Amino acid sequence: MDPGLYIAASGMLAEQVRQNQLSNDLANASTPGYKPDQAEQQSFGSLLLQNTATGQSVGTINTGVRIDKVVTDTSPTTLNQTGQPLDFGIAGTGYFAVRTSSGVSYTRDGQFASNSQSQLVDQQGNLVLGQNGQPITVSAKGTVPGSALGVFNVPNVTKQGDNYFTGASTGKASGVVHSGELENSGVDAVQTMTDMIASLRAYQAGQSALQSIDQTMQEDATSVGSIQG
Amino acid sequence: MLQGLYAAASGMEATQNQFNAISNDMANIDTTGYQATEVGFQDLLYSGGGNSSGSPSISTGTGSSSQIVGRDQSQGAIQSTGRSLDVAINGPGYLQVRRDDGSIGLTRDGALQANAQGEITNSTGNPLVPPLKVPKGDDVDNLKIETNGQVISGSKTIGKIDLVNVPAPNQLQPDGSSMFSVTSGSGATRPASGSTIQQGALEGSNVDVAADMTEMITAQRSYQMASQAIQYQDQMMQIANGIKK
Repeated sequence: MDPGLYIAASGMLAEQVRQNQLSNDLANASTPGYKPDQAEQQSFGSLLLQNTATGQSVGTINTGVRIDKVVTDTSPTTLNQTGQPLDFGIAGTGYFAVRTSSGVSYTRDGQFASNSQSQLVDQQGNLVLGQNGQPITVSAKGTVPGSALGVFNVPNVTKQGDNYFTGASTGKASGVVHSGELENSGVDAVQTMTDMIASLRAYQAGQSALQSIDQTMQEDATSVGSIQG
Repeated sequence: MLQGLYAAASGMEATQNQFNAISNDMANIDTTGYQATEVGFQDLLYSGGGNSSGSPSISTGTGSSSQIVGRDQSQGAIQSTGRSLDVAINGPGYLQVRRDDGSIGLTRDGALQANAQGEITNSTGNPLVPPLKVPKGDDVDNLKIETNGQVISGSKTIGKIDLVNVPAPNQLQPDGSSMFSVTSGSGATRPASGSTIQQGALEGSNVDVAADMTEMITAQRSYQMASQAIQYQDQMMQIANGIKK
């Protein structure tokens, strides 16, 4: 069967994954400390074409594409002043650490609060950790100095949902904690909308290619063998 | 394929929650002692949407969610009223009142009044805790309330208005009528530290109109864009349906 059919279809499948990823970014345009993704495309292995008569190589043909990996853009974005004493943002690189039931997770969302034991917790009620890995106490006035919060350098983070990232920390990061501020979502709405339109059109182009190939095959099947006259 | 549709829909729902919270704040701009709501957003689980891409290692997100995470603890503007039984709390903390069912309610609404027995109550008639009674024959208009809460009638101290706070004010349960209840999550009440009482004044709501309007506009745009995303996905499915004419 014509490989073009499958190549076009693989392109359409890749665009579907891209749409899913873009939709998720857009849904998180208001999530503090959210880091947008990028779906990276990769072509499948290419085939070597040979002249059927002489056996001579005539070059290669690609067999389609797939989304190879989703890369998270972890670069810091701007901080937004909220005035809440227990909101924290990191200017520069690094992550806050929280102790979850499945080990330490990292986050850039510093919308914290106090628990009933006057310890600093995140929205899931998990303890926020200082640089020494210990919980942080909230003063009777309801404040915590920004310097009490640990900022950890975590290369190669993986997203977990609930604004958590996991990864292995390599110590202190250079970022500075600002209290009364939250980091904005890293989603650029205009860019994301543009990407969505581009992806939609690429999907449509894939469909057109499929239809053209289908039409060609129809010609093959009905016209080539027919006896005129 | 459909995952993106639902991711966008969850974004719309999260924004809707934010709308509700902002609307409620706006409606309470003139409510004495009202504390504005704080909304928190999270991303949702990342699941393997990769099967269609031919690579199992790909996981894409499933959208976002939002909820009210607590109340803005910042100080509202103190407005002078000149009324002797109006008290404004300067700093964090709450007044305690005993409700009809016997439970304790916390409030920052300091529009107090005296009932027929001379008991000092809040505006809905719930007596203060600890109880405070104006001696018979004394004029409530001549009460003097010190910044530390001492209440003086004539020349003698008749009691004290206590300010309390909890370790986790975000976990207090709002009951309406500017009243909150202590929960296990908020921790037990303790004396409020560093807060003072100002007589003859009321604390306005701490809703920041300008900030709320800005949030409203961003929320509206997010909502619109998420709905557009749904349309794109719908269009894609239509295209897929159109492959075979």
